[in-house]
Amino acid sequence: MGINKITIVNYGMGNLGSIVNMFKRIGIETQVCDNAGGVAKAQKILLPGVGAFDAAMSRITAIEGMREILDQKVLVEKIPLLGICLGMQLLTDGSEEGQLPGLGYIPGETIRFPVSDELKVPHMGWNLIEEVNPNPLTKDLPEEPRFYFVHSYYVQVTNPYHRMATTNYGFDFDSVIQRDNLFGAQFHPEKSHKFGMKLLENFARL
Amino acid sequence: MLRTRVIPCLQLVNESLVKTVQFGKYGYIGDPINTVRIFNELEVDELCFLDIRATLEKRQPNFAILHQIANECFMPLSYGGGIRDAETARQILSIGFEKIVINTAAFANPALISEIASHSGAQSVIASIDVKKNLWGKYQVYSHDGTQKEYVDAVTWAVELERLGAGELLVTSMNREGTYTGYDTDMLRSISEVVNIPVIANGGAGSVQHIENAIRDGKASAVALGSMVVYQKKGMGVLVNFPDRVELEKTLAQ
Amino acid sequence: MEHNGIEKVNGKQICTRCIYDESVPSIRFDEKGVCNYCHMVDNLIEEYHTGKPEGDKTINELIEQIKKDGKGKQYDCIMGVSGGTDSSYMVYWALQHGLRPLAVHYDNTWNTAIATENIRKVLTKLKVDLFTHVINNKEADDIFKAFFIAGVPEIDASTDLALAETMYRAAAKYKVKYVLEGHSFIAEGISPLGKNYFDGKYIFSIHNKYGKLPMKTYPLMTFSKFIKWTALYRIKKIRPLWYIKYSKEDAKTFLEKEFGWQYYGGHHLENRMTSFFHSIYCPQKFNIDYRNNSLSASVRAGQMTREQAIEEYYNQPPYIEEELLSYFKKRLNLSDEEYDRIMNEPPKYWYQFPTYKKRFEQLRPFFYLLMKSNLVPRSFYMKYCFPVGH
Repeated sequence: MGINKITIVNYGMGNLGSIVNMFKRIGIETQVCDNAGGVAKAQKILLPGVGAFDAAMSRITAIEGMREILDQKVLVEKIPLLGICLGMQLLTDGSEEGQLPGLGYIPGETIRFPVSDELKVPHMGWNLIEEVNPNPLTKDLPEEPRFYFVHSYYVQVTNPYHRMATTNYGFDFDSVIQRDNLFGAQFHPEKSHKFGMKLLENFARL
Repeated sequence: MLRTRVIPCLQLVNESLVKTVQFGKYGYIGDPINTVRIFNELEVDELCFLDIRATLEKRQPNFAILHQIANECFMPLSYGGGIRDAETARQILSIGFEKIVINTAAFANPALISEIASHSGAQSVIASIDVKKNLWGKYQVYSHDGTQKEYVDAVTWAVELERLGAGELLVTSMNREGTYTGYDTDMLRSISEVVNIPVIANGGAGSVQHIENAIRDGKASAVALGSMVVYQKKGMGVLVNFPDRVELEKTLAQ
Repeated sequence: MEHNGIEKVNGKQICTRCIYDESVPSIRFDEKGVCNYCHMVDNLIEEYHTGKPEGDKTINELIEQIKKDGKGKQYDCIMGVSGGTDSSYMVYWALQHGLRPLAVHYDNTWNTAIATENIRKVLTKLKVDLFTHVINNKEADDIFKAFFIAGVPEIDASTDLALAETMYRAAAKYKVKYVLEGHSFIAEGISPLGKNYFDGKYIFSIHNKYGKLPMKTYPLMTFSKFIKWTALYRIKKIRPLWYIKYSKEDAKTFLEKEFGWQYYGGHHLENRMTSFFHSIYCPQKFNIDYRNNSLSASVRAGQMTREQAIEEYYNQPPYIEEELLSYFKKRLNLSDEEYDRIMNEPPKYWYQFPTYKKRFEQLRPFFYLLMKSNLVPRSFYMKYCFPVGH
């Protein structure tokens, strides 16, 4: 497929500036779109997300034609899509955080971290990821790959073949998931300097 | 497991990087952007910028500089200094900062913390407490860059800030700052034991051993470094640096 | 191309040994076409016995003197460091010879990460202490901008003078009598006795006329300070590289291997103001390309053929770091229009502003004595105490 422009979906939640900056630093062109028309022309999609599940789902569905064009691009045309942080959680069937259903692109649930004295919530800080299934996103990452996480909910995919990498926070949760052309990363690559740069570069080169 | 966060905490006075000792006079450290580039090279995990005179000088945050800083950094960033309303906080978060730090504003307007937390999430709000240990060993809270005594003790105020919705606490020892004598672990522990949110230790670090003490004895979840990362060592020249990663990891291993 | 025994490039006569051409100020060619600057280097080598046993003997004697005078003190000498090859190697060399240096750096806030990292890597491994003076970045920019608006060539003079002042201050603070400088006339060539000049009054005059912020954190070396450091405190300046065998290439390789030091490619990328001065300001505003200095030096030292040097100098433009110009304009708050306008204004020169030059000339006998005691370098004496034709 080669390197092509990354279309970043802007639905009003998520720190797009940093994502655009990191792609720029690694020499990849991006385009930020807040409407269905722009997404229709996408060759690769990045779905960011910071905040609450329901708020995100409402906003996405509120944009005219957005839900439909997303379904078309990823399910029919099968172009690559990467969901980051909340963006990854949106790919699942639903979250304990909200009432609305998720996009359902990768079967799974988004669950709240158990509260305990030892492990504070949100899970915030740098943590290691461990590749459990070879996949293009985590290929050739620098040794001991670590990324910046900040989240109170975690994802558990239904099908273990969709689990690409896990991270330990009391127990192992899914940190990188993939189903065909759909990818999810629970951490923030745009805040994980050289590790994030390599991962985003891998995505861009799919 | 989660790595303990070690966060260089840089002081801004408008557009210049400085470093104070015990909240007193400051020396120049250099240009903020050049310094950020070095921390990028050193691959530090996180950076914190505090404009220490913004409130005193009745200034707004300097958005021009903050834009440039956010453009340079590929790690999590927090900013504090002169944030008085939710709109300013939102603006800073949208520039590319993960978290904002509130100190003085929380006294006049406690609801500000709740407002920002409810819109942007608790994890985006760090409540900062500057503490001076007085002659009788009591931990007094100060505002306005350590110039105004607030009549509340550190533990009580910490509990209140958590209740208001802060995601983290940055606790700074005014006595220890810039002295390289280690954190005030007693003070830190007294706060960590009564709150559930992470406590970031600040003020006094001079060595990796001090960092270990803050975690082990002070029960802090993370540590901030000031003088240690901008000077070669105590009393010597300005030289941006970061503790050796291998030594840090060995020390911080569970 | 030879023509009547005179070699020319681009229509200008060029030295048959190095690559200085006739446009270099105060240049003269002998009957073999060799320029006076080559002869100056030869004379210095002969005088200082550079790289020969007598030279080593002289520097070793100086080292013993430094150690003796430094007994009981925390440090016995001061060394200026920039993160560059010569100063980094000098610190290593000093330790090898049993000296206990204090490294000194003046930070004009335009350093690149490479420079600071190089300083850190070398000093940390060698366990050498660092003394710095950091100017307020806004004040630094105000002074640079004043020089830019003035339209004079010496845009980086404030940095050079501030480093000298900072080294003296450090020497005085720690009661050290010796400042070691990494200047090498073999590696750097002889700067043409040209139009450039600076002293404390010059910097003050330019800033006074064109600057906006008060000069508070800039370490200005006034005339009286200069006399204080040299005649009163009697702090000596020693240049070890004038005596010992030194190859910049070998030094670079060694530094990389030993310290993980990084070379910034010879394009002055250690400091963006220096970069701007060398690759944009001088070539574009004054039509001066200082690469001929180091290239000629490399040719004389046999590290490069004359043909290679000629090719690089006359056929390739100076390397300009990407975004250097936008960084310059952003720091000095110059719009594209303002920048272009000022760059196109006719240049001005130091003699159009108040300086200490006359005073230096009038006190020549006094400075002659200081030079004899190594309190001021010979090059200073030659340049400052004699009238310059302009």
